[in-house]
Amino acid sequence: MAAEPTREWTDEQLKSDDFSKKDIIQFIQDNATHSFLNEHKLLGNMKNVAKTAKKEQLVIAYNQLFESKSFKGTEPVENVTEQIKAVKIEEKPQEVKAEVVDEGPPKYTKSVLKKGDKTNFPKKGDTVSCWYTGTLEDGTVFDTNIPTAARKKKQAKPLSFKVGMGKVIKGWDMALLTMSKGETARLEIEPEWAYGKKGVPESKIPPNAKLIFEVELVSVD
Amino acid sequence: MALEQLSELVQRCQGLPDDGYASEDYNVFTVAGRSCIEEGNSLQVLSIVLDEKNQDIVRCMGWNLLPPLIKVLLKKEDEDLPQCLAIFNHLLETCRPKELLIGLLEQLEQDDPDTIAESLHLLLNPLQKVLLCLGNRKASSLGMTLSSVLDQVAKLPLPHTKEQEEDDIFMLCRCCTNLVMFVRPFVEEVRQNLARTEQSSDCKTTEGQDSDELQPELLKFCMKTLRHPLLEVQLKDPDTLPESPLRNFATEILNVLSAIREPLPSLVYQPLLKRKQVPGFLEEEVRYPKESLASLAHLVFVHHLAADSFPSVFSPVFCLRCNMEHICLLLSRTEETRIQKGLELYEKSLVRVEDGVLPADLLEIKTFLTVPQNLVKVMTMCQRHDLRTRGLKVFQLSIDKFNTEAKYHFFQYMLKTSNHSGVEGYVIKNIKNQIDSALQPGNSNTWFEGVHLLPLLRRVLSLPGGPETDLLEYLDRIMESLNLLRYLVIRDKVTENQTGIWTELYKIEDTFLKPLRVGVNMSRAHYERELHNTMEEAKKNKVKDSSVLSVSVGEEKLPNVTSESHIQALHSALHTFDMIESVLVRIEELVEVKDNLMQLLRTP
Repeated sequence: MAAEPTREWTDEQLKSDDFSKKDIIQFIQDNATHSFLNEHKLLGNMKNVAKTAKKEQLVIAYNQLFESKSFKGTEPVENVTEQIKAVKIEEKPQEVKAEVVDEGPPKYTKSVLKKGDKTNFPKKGDTVSCWYTGTLEDGTVFDTNIPTAARKKKQAKPLSFKVGMGKVIKGWDMALLTMSKGETARLEIEPEWAYGKKGVPESKIPPNAKLIFEVELVSVD
Repeated sequence: MALEQLSELVQRCQGLPDDGYASEDYNVFTVAGRSCIEEGNSLQVLSIVLDEKNQDIVRCMGWNLLPPLIKVLLKKEDEDLPQCLAIFNHLLETCRPKELLIGLLEQLEQDDPDTIAESLHLLLNPLQKVLLCLGNRKASSLGMTLSSVLDQVAKLPLPHTKEQEEDDIFMLCRCCTNLVMFVRPFVEEVRQNLARTEQSSDCKTTEGQDSDELQPELLKFCMKTLRHPLLEVQLKDPDTLPESPLRNFATEILNVLSAIREPLPSLVYQPLLKRKQVPGFLEEEVRYPKESLASLAHLVFVHHLAADSFPSVFSPVFCLRCNMEHICLLLSRTEETRIQKGLELYEKSLVRVEDGVLPADLLEIKTFLTVPQNLVKVMTMCQRHDLRTRGLKVFQLSIDKFNTEAKYHFFQYMLKTSNHSGVEGYVIKNIKNQIDSALQPGNSNTWFEGVHLLPLLRRVLSLPGGPETDLLEYLDRIMESLNLLRYLVIRDKVTENQTGIWTELYKIEDTFLKPLRVGVNMSRAHYERELHNTMEEAKKNKVKDSSVLSVSVGEEKLPNVTSESHIQALHSALHTFDMIESVLVRIEELVEVKDNLMQLLRTP
């Protein structure tokens, strides 16, 4: 087994502003087990992780990595799979209610995380704007438009598009029509209504992938 | 002499206020100063320039010394280099930025590629410093600078091979890297100002106004680089070239666009989104030139340069629809780099779509009709063999993505418009495959059997010019049509008549088989006589050894076709007629057998 990595950075160093999040993420991704990364939502493309994870979380994760010694290659395989299962089971109960949508057999489920105003529902052809984070079933973040720090949120813009016109994957087009302004929902979209058999390899979406999105509908015009 | 003149002038001017210099003083300073540097007295010039008492003079007139200084700096091995560099640096710090800018830009104008690259390398950094000194009034100067820099870059030869890019023999790569460094502070300023104005929502500061003007200049710059050099060069994949300066340059340009609030998705999807906004249409076209947007789409979808920041929520069909505009533009050009990029973009956009899902109403969109026409031109006329082959591959891929109804309409459209026997033959082969698939158990569809199929069959099973059709020219088409017909009479049972061929046969006899037979007989007779004559001629010519016929193209006379090769050509034509006839006979036999069978069945 490889030698354990040493804890080179002090808390002060980590918290200082000139120490970038990417350095910490890089270190953790290089050294931690898959299940550790999954537990701390640090799987996936560097940019996306950097966008979703707060600096404090990263510092905690960094420290926990050394406390728990969850270094790459330390865990037997069964252990890893067991933990992944545990994580999956955990996710289920927190869903409030899974709405079933008509239009043939629905290929997605929606659970409302935060209620909207229940009056402003978009119609086909309306322009909607949303913040979103897309993850795979293993927790890998493949895309998000949410910047982390509050200061940065001002600089980014939510994604806008005309809903119900086939511009986005079918799961989105259908789900967004059921949401009202201000609503945040968790969408689990079957591959048939996402990127199907092909996936989008260059965007880290494998073939036949079920996609999980957390979408906040910011505005309807 | 020049040195004395210069010292004299400087001494005289030391007493004057800086608005008291006469235009004559400027002239003397310029002429004498330049000669001093050219004559190798730069050390003395340096001490004059550095003298505390002369700073007003230097501030007003110093920039006139730039031309000889830059000449020395570009030479590099000149012994006066250290002094000249010191003068140059002092001028940059002392003179007025506006004049420096003009002086520096003048020196950028070069003609020889090596000097262009060297001057860009030398002058970009000073230009940046000078522009930054201009404070809030720099937008138009930045625009002017970027425009003349890119004009210079456009004169540099482009690297084509991996080795050329690695060694950067034409120094384009270094220029691109310099250019990225050059624009960085301006991009950062725009980014910060945009963030600031958004935070303090409506209250616009004066700085904000400058940034309002900087943004369009930077946008113009990005659009220009996307067209040249980025549309002209073939970027190498990371597998081929792990560290590619040109790929980095492209990535940086995309980053600049995002930073100055020109989101990549809106740019890529621009042609489709903007079409409705008719007023200001011209202005849009200037701000966002179509070629630049096509180049951008190519970088995003073929090279995946923005894979991390490009949203992964758009549907593949929508991406294809938008990209069709770019593909159409690229394939309508004759330059091979454009054609190649068009094919690559089309292929990548199609690959994302699942087979058999594109609906027929897409064929009502103009680009879905013009792109295949452009593709036909590429497949049949492009100079490069690899592009012709690739064109065919993409053509087939595009057919595979249509659903059956769309395929049906697409085939009809292609047969109507392609005017090329080879392409028509290829389409007919596809029709045969579709019929074959429709006849498989459980696969039946309304388009490739029965009522709908007949109009398509009528179009296929016909001779464009009746019996007089040039059979050799139309060979590909004719052979594929005969193959299809033979397939139908073998595969479809008379009793089932799923394709409708058996009730249509009597018409096909008249429109296709009979004229074809007549055509074959006429052509054979013609070519046999021709062969006979040529052979007679050849016998005579053995005695005379001269040719009656000569062909010339332009001024050049083509070598005469030897009678041997003429005879060979005639023989091969006759073989072709034999081939057509053998398939024709086989079809007639099959039909006869089945006809007899039908009669047996009918008689009680």
